[in-house]
Amino acid sequence: MPKSLFVDPVATRAPGKITFTDIPVNRYNKTINDERARYSDGDFIRIFRDIAICREFETMLSLIKTQGSYNGVQTTYPGPAHLSLGQEAAAVGMAYLLGIDDFTFGSHRSHSEIIAKSLSAIDKLPDEKLLKIMENFMGGRTLRAVESLGKADSVKELAIRFILYGTLAEIFARETGFHIGLGGSMHAFFLPFGVYPNNAIVGGSAPISTGAALFKKINRKPGVVVCNTGDGSLGCGPVYEAMNFAAMAQFGTLWEGDMKGGLPILFNVFNNSYGMGGQTRGETMAHDIAARLGAGICPSQMHAERVDGYNPLAVIDAMGRKLPLLRSDQGPVLLDIVTYRYSGHSTSDQNAYRTKEELEAWREHDPIITYRRALVEAGVAPDAAFDDIIAETVERMTRICRHAADKDISPYADFVADPGVVERLMFSNLHIPKLDERAPEYTLPKEECPAYKKIKSKVRALTDEDGKPVSKMKAYNLRDAIAESLIDKFYEDPTMISYGEDVRDWGGAFAVYRDMMDALPHYRLFNAPISEAAIVGTAVGYGMCGGRAVVELMYADFIGRCGDEIFNQLSKWQAMSAGILKMPVVVRVSVGSKYGAQHSQDWTSLCAHIPGLKVCFPATPYEARGLMTAALNGTDPVIFFESQRIYDMPERFHEGGVPEEPYEIKIGDTNLIRKGDDITILTVGAALYRAVEAADILKSKYGKNAEIINLHSLVPLDYSKIVESVKKTGRVVLVSDACARGSFLNDVAQNITSLCFDWLDGPPAVVGARNWITPPFEFDEFFFPQPGWIIDTIHEKILPLPGHVPVSSVTEAEQERRLRLGV
Amino acid sequence: MAKAVVMPKVGITVESCIIGEWKKQPGDLVAVGDVLFDFETDKASFECESTEAGVLLEIFFGPGEEVPVLTNVCAIGQPGEDVSALRPASAKTAAGTNRAATGAGISIVTGQDRAEITGTRAGTPEATEVVPANTTRGGDIFRISPRARGLAERAGVDPREASGTGPMGRVIEPDMRRLMKEGRPEALKPVQPEGEYEEIKLTGIRRAIARAMKESLATTAQLTSHHSFDATGILRCRAEFKAAGGELAGVTLGDMVLFAVSRTLKSHPDLNATMPEEGILRRYRTVNLAVAVDTPRGLVVPVVFNADKKSLIEISKEVKELAAAARSGGISPDLLYGGSFTVSNLGALGVESFTPVLNPPQIGILGVCSILQRVHEREGGGHEFYPAMGLSLTYDHRAVDGAPAARFMQELCRNLENFTALLVRG
Repeated sequence: MPKSLFVDPVATRAPGKITFTDIPVNRYNKTINDERARYSDGDFIRIFRDIAICREFETMLSLIKTQGSYNGVQTTYPGPAHLSLGQEAAAVGMAYLLGIDDFTFGSHRSHSEIIAKSLSAIDKLPDEKLLKIMENFMGGRTLRAVESLGKADSVKELAIRFILYGTLAEIFARETGFHIGLGGSMHAFFLPFGVYPNNAIVGGSAPISTGAALFKKINRKPGVVVCNTGDGSLGCGPVYEAMNFAAMAQFGTLWEGDMKGGLPILFNVFNNSYGMGGQTRGETMAHDIAARLGAGICPSQMHAERVDGYNPLAVIDAMGRKLPLLRSDQGPVLLDIVTYRYSGHSTSDQNAYRTKEELEAWREHDPIITYRRALVEAGVAPDAAFDDIIAETVERMTRICRHAADKDISPYADFVADPGVVERLMFSNLHIPKLDERAPEYTLPKEECPAYKKIKSKVRALTDEDGKPVSKMKAYNLRDAIAESLIDKFYEDPTMISYGEDVRDWGGAFAVYRDMMDALPHYRLFNAPISEAAIVGTAVGYGMCGGRAVVELMYADFIGRCGDEIFNQLSKWQAMSAGILKMPVVVRVSVGSKYGAQHSQDWTSLCAHIPGLKVCFPATPYEARGLMTAALNGTDPVIFFESQRIYDMPERFHEGGVPEEPYEIKIGDTNLIRKGDDITILTVGAALYRAVEAADILKSKYGKNAEIINLHSLVPLDYSKIVESVKKTGRVVLVSDACARGSFLNDVAQNITSLCFDWLDGPPAVVGARNWITPPFEFDEFFFPQPGWIIDTIHEKILPLPGHVPVSSVTEAEQERRLRLGV
Repeated sequence: MAKAVVMPKVGITVESCIIGEWKKQPGDLVAVGDVLFDFETDKASFECESTEAGVLLEIFFGPGEEVPVLTNVCAIGQPGEDVSALRPASAKTAAGTNRAATGAGISIVTGQDRAEITGTRAGTPEATEVVPANTTRGGDIFRISPRARGLAERAGVDPREASGTGPMGRVIEPDMRRLMKEGRPEALKPVQPEGEYEEIKLTGIRRAIARAMKESLATTAQLTSHHSFDATGILRCRAEFKAAGGELAGVTLGDMVLFAVSRTLKSHPDLNATMPEEGILRRYRTVNLAVAVDTPRGLVVPVVFNADKKSLIEISKEVKELAAAARSGGISPDLLYGGSFTVSNLGALGVESFTPVLNPPQIGILGVCSILQRVHEREGGGHEFYPAMGLSLTYDHRAVDGAPAARFMQELCRNLENFTALLVRG
């Protein structure tokens, strides 16, 4: 909603029509002889060779999965094999013109893409660079295993073996694989050749690739991004979200200077007509021809085109025409590349959804036959030459397969000798305040940034220098603490960008970004479409390429809209890549109140459940400042919860208020709010303040001293101070606004029970919100934990308080009744 | 619905207990924590507190009946409720005799209507029936928090003597603190004696002792032999320990005898044994020394397990702890079973010799007597006084004959006379 863009009622209401330009369909019609100017005989033959290598790789896996044997090599593996048998020519065509600065991302069916892109890179790179890449990768571990295959005639041959072996060992879950086997078939990649991850979630790569393109654009990196995906993925919302994000009008209307223009991303749909078994054309999808979608995204129609992927030269031709568009800021581009897979979706596919005739008919068009025939007929090489290529390919593949299957040459990671194999990879735990050395770009220096000036004018404690209470308007609050940390980082780390819904002009729905827009260029702080999947997914791509992104989800309730991006992508790539990728991404999530059942939920527990995410929920300005600074200096994904109830809360607990100088609070620490001997109250989020009220009542009415510890970090969580406190008091009640069932607090309670059992004077008791929808705000006190509930729970379950009359029902019988009914 | 109260399991080895006196009668109003009846094992006596609130509806077992642990002993609930489902098959109760009158009209206030407070709108038939606050729901176990249990163990106090004020009558830390500070709640005062004599009904440990001693003399073939040894060595040792101070200063002559017994028994396995049934001799591989302790409630005999593997200091400390626990009544019943030989020390009370009564099914018991000055010939002529300590061994002639028993005593005396050497051997 920038004021610079006038929504003119006259223009908006004016009659007219939308016109489209024709979307080309399979227009390429050149012969081998027509293309002799573009390709040498060697080029033509190399294209065939690459197709053959990809074909043999997939044939080998198919045999191993179905027969347990390939050319005398007896082996098998339990993991997935979504083979691209039949799709190799399209993959080779896609990769042919790309360099190592061009990044490809993939899907679950990407073996051919990985190999084709790598073969293309091997062909282009000088020997010494290839050697250096192989030698440096994983300390040369993969190369050593490859060298056991025997001496290679050339560095390029060694590199071909390297890429085939590394990919296969990865699929076989071996330590010598590209990510010590932790990625596997659907998460293999090789960054030095510009091969970025493929993805086991259909459509999962679309937002991530878009984020990678955003990274290239904003950080002025060379190259384009190719998002290889399938026709089935076009039914996924996040794919649409990604295309729209990549084509946002603001790139042309609001981004300035060299930032003006579209994202350098190609959405490359390998269209094999099936999404698993569902026929995308004629059954499950509405678009008829996938290229049509471009016309629905943006006026450029994404330069969409359908291309015959059964002719590798047609694909190269299309890439040759689209790459200049991408490199001149005219992206995004959509290609609909027709292809076909002969194998099933996976090896357990019975092919119930298609006929033998259909398969046979496509086999007659198989490029490995038709392209070869065309080359022979054009006199590029005699037919026997292709037999030689195939024989050489099979021989190489057989030896590689034998070595990859051999547990001595290709051992599994030793989980017995080293139980920490995966543990060490879950978080990178690095401290890198600046992800790039260049100077950050801004439109006003920090001292003149209106938001910064306003924050600096505030009083950072409860009382001013004269000891007088500070008014709400003048007090440095939780919102200021977050904003100040973000501003510091904008002026420190040039890669730092921030976006979300309405963050720029509006300043975010809860004003965290208010008054920052004048100091920061559009590209560093911009409004995203209402596309949570794209917001988080692009941040994942931005982060894995080496940039720092902070994105905002307006309400925690919207996590559902980006479940995959948070739970499967953001959380998993560091470990699945064996630590090769880092994820310096902070997702700020606001926990609502007053707005009913779909805008008031504390979903920290959902995030805490997922391995690989750090989860914070500061409840005081002091905590927020220290934690956000720590999150922004780190390299791990952090889900940073903020409660709308307390954005205005000043610092009430930390001696001296919030320090002027930046500082970090270790994520995982706990915050001792108040000391006491009679009971420990552990809190998460805004419930802290109700716990403080309860503690006041416990003191004044019952003479009990409660110790309050706020858990500002859920993951990781250092229990030492919790255990120390519970061992002292023997009693613990845990409070948060999350619905009690499945609340993270139950996990904490269980751990306390286990760690402090013999010290406990009663069961740890969780006080959470009821297991209902959140009723209207008028009934807040019936739904969210109240001070009275905390006291009742202590009285009924842990330590009877003389004279106390409970206001809520927390008896065992009532507990069982609610559990029985699921409410 | 009526609930049962079960016979508590007061130790891992206890399988059944005998009911003493019922403190509540059918029809009585009972609160959680009220004493229902007392009961005893063969080693100790206890009180059973109610785990339920309501009216005592039926008593399933009367005084003197032996009841397996965890068996229902009575039913508590609302007048008129059916208790047949709770009545154990082994109960001999005649219908009606031990039951509360039905429909007595006693109502128990268990809470208050919280419908409005909890936000439930009453008034419609579907209105949620919220289980009211303050409702105590019974359980089948003695409830105690781990923290309170730990405290009780460290203090050697029986947590059952605390009145549990936690939820469900759970004994919690403050209850233990109160018990440790103020002692057990005042029991019933004895009735003032009238006439020529007073008749006291034996309870608890006294009754258990009475039964055990009678059984001992009635079922075994015991005889006693008396011995003495020159205590010069152990008296010197004792003086040195005292001078050394610290833990050593606490080592008594009795501890030294225990130490010597634990070592000597190893080579006399027939005496380190029990006869669990006629014709079976159970010889122990370790020495589990039972030590008779005089307590206000009667004789209690806790066991120092594996005494042969413990040092003098360890034995000394353990005996002190066991004695303290036995005197406070807080000793775990598990420590009252499993002895392989008993030592009873009456030396400090001036007893010159006595005939200890066997602690069945053990084969032997050693009585430790006082030290007397005796005369013996001095080497090289003349006489001199020396301190002689008496020892009286009672043994079961069914298992051991006189000569082997005497050989054991000879070796024991020799060991005590050469105590330093014994200590060095360990």
